[in-house]
Amino acid sequence: MKKKIAATLMIIAAAAAAAGCGGNSQTGTGTQSQTASSAQETSSQESSQAASQDEASYTIGIGQYAVHGSLDNCREGFLQGLAEEGIEEGKNLTVLYENANGDGGMGTQIISNFLSQNVDMICAIATPMAQTAYGATKRTDVPVIYTAVTDPVIAQLATEDKMPAGNITGTSDKLPVEEQLQMIRQILPDAKTIGIMYSTSEVNSQSTLEEYKEAAPEYGFEIIESGISTAADIPLAADNLLTQVDCLNNLTDNTVVSSLPIILNKANSKGIPVFGSEIEQVRIGCLASMGLDYVELGKQTGRMAAQVLKGEAKASEMPYEVIEEASFYGNSAVADNLGITLPEDLVSSAAQMFDSIGDSNS
Amino acid sequence: MSILLGILEEGLIYAILALGVYITYSILDFPDLSVDSTFPLGSAVTAAMLVAGLPAPAALCVSFLGGVLAGTVTGLIHVKLKVVDLLSGIIVMTGLYSINLQIAGGANLAFFGSSTIFDNSLTAPLWASPAGDFTVVIISLIAVILVKLLLDAYLKTRSGYLLRAAGDNDTLVTSLAKDKGTVKIIGLALANGLVALSGSIYCQKQGFFEISTGTGSMVIGLASVIIGTKLFRRASFMKTTTAVIIGSVLYKACIAAAMALGIFPTSYMKFLTAALFLIILVLSNQTRRKGAV
Repeated sequence: MKKKIAATLMIIAAAAAAAGCGGNSQTGTGTQSQTASSAQETSSQESSQAASQDEASYTIGIGQYAVHGSLDNCREGFLQGLAEEGIEEGKNLTVLYENANGDGGMGTQIISNFLSQNVDMICAIATPMAQTAYGATKRTDVPVIYTAVTDPVIAQLATEDKMPAGNITGTSDKLPVEEQLQMIRQILPDAKTIGIMYSTSEVNSQSTLEEYKEAAPEYGFEIIESGISTAADIPLAADNLLTQVDCLNNLTDNTVVSSLPIILNKANSKGIPVFGSEIEQVRIGCLASMGLDYVELGKQTGRMAAQVLKGEAKASEMPYEVIEEASFYGNSAVADNLGITLPEDLVSSAAQMFDSIGDSNS
Repeated sequence: MSILLGILEEGLIYAILALGVYITYSILDFPDLSVDSTFPLGSAVTAAMLVAGLPAPAALCVSFLGGVLAGTVTGLIHVKLKVVDLLSGIIVMTGLYSINLQIAGGANLAFFGSSTIFDNSLTAPLWASPAGDFTVVIISLIAVILVKLLLDAYLKTRSGYLLRAAGDNDTLVTSLAKDKGTVKIIGLALANGLVALSGSIYCQKQGFFEISTGTGSMVIGLASVIIGTKLFRRASFMKTTTAVIIGSVLYKACIAAAMALGIFPTSYMKFLTAALFLIILVLSNQTRRKGAV
């Protein structure tokens, strides 16, 4: 029996040993990163210095907080942005990608795994991941580029003047609240109340909700909020909210957006329009949005990352960026179903119009 | 090298949580689910206090006391209101979630600029020294050893003996003219105090509080206790508390190894944990059966 226990221990030890090798072979497409096996502690500095000099190749660890259409778009855009600057996956870029599936503890392990594999840069998608990466890299030379962080100042990743708190910078997905309210007023001239559902556990949602509450009276709206704890609360909360409001408006709340099809179903059966916060939500059935294109946001982030990797700029000296202009996205199929005509000037200025309701799985 | 450091940092900090779970699960035979919320309770209290400019050691103490309070509530619900053990834990876990949000004022609270037990004027020379990379490990190790020694000492006191008796044979406690309910409440209070302390240290390492970090704390603690106690059951020279600490490090090592191997996407992690759990339980059951024959 002792042998069996010993065997279990052996397996664990073997796995741990293999882990070390596995890490190096994954980063091994670049010549300089192979030195990692001989000098693991210092190689992260060395490789990033070497990388900035010649035809180097890079390793980036992408840590994403949750599976989520917008965040996936960010990641895709990020890689496109890098490719525009000549850093392409498979050629001179190795990408290690991990998803924490909404588990904060897992996020810590993901980042420490990246650091042990001597990545040249960490790309953190969404606020908790960015904070974890910032905390873990404070004493290292590994730069962190984040995206989809709604308020980097509140998250203490940047100071009031947009300058980084450390060797970390990126892009914010702050929602264009005023523009969205203006659009809703334009589409629904008689509406009085807007329902907003949000997770009490998501800090971004709370700060955006406050902004909405502050700005709503200016446009003649009253915000009716409904806080939920888990996805399981959504059906009941939606039923309750739909009896009190003229329309619903989404934030970028991870939990609520993940369950959007349920909300859309219930709202559609009552003929209540739902406004989205970004293109993906309009594609799968929200009426319209003055929103962000997360692929564009990702691209912008990717270009910033390229500058840092090439040594043209330091993450610690680059202010974080936002997408300045919100664009209009509309779904004409949804409008037809609801019997609403989208104002012509919005439609003509639209960044994209959908004429069908997309599949939520893609 | 850094992968080992990461494992040690995480393993040692979570070892304090594991020691708490050891008290409830192994000693009291009480599956205490309140842990999933007392861990973030420690983090929330710490984040709120550090943001308010209070010193880090004070945050450790208040976190511990907060955990003690939560554990006492679980105990009172179970002993006085006669609610089943599992449900008492679930009730406290659920209720505390909202309280944690209130304490931290939201789901996420950062304090990157504040001085913590890892990052202060006393530890600055350590960070600057050649052993700087080991700072977190060293401080965590000191914390774990302190907690372990205090716990060992406590278990040798009269109250500690009663605690162990309450789990093994509660009629003995009654025959000693002691109230077994009170003993259980003390055990739960102490255990959750340790869990919250672990949450406080964890969040000081991270630099921010995040409500989701509590998810699965119970399982991490349980896995560490089971790995530690089952693997080293024959090692009579080793105290069980030591075995639990090693179990915690081994558990984190398994997770890190599985992740670094890159064969499994992180979405399989919980499954792997469950599988590891089962293997160790089955192996140790076989030992017991053979021993009995």
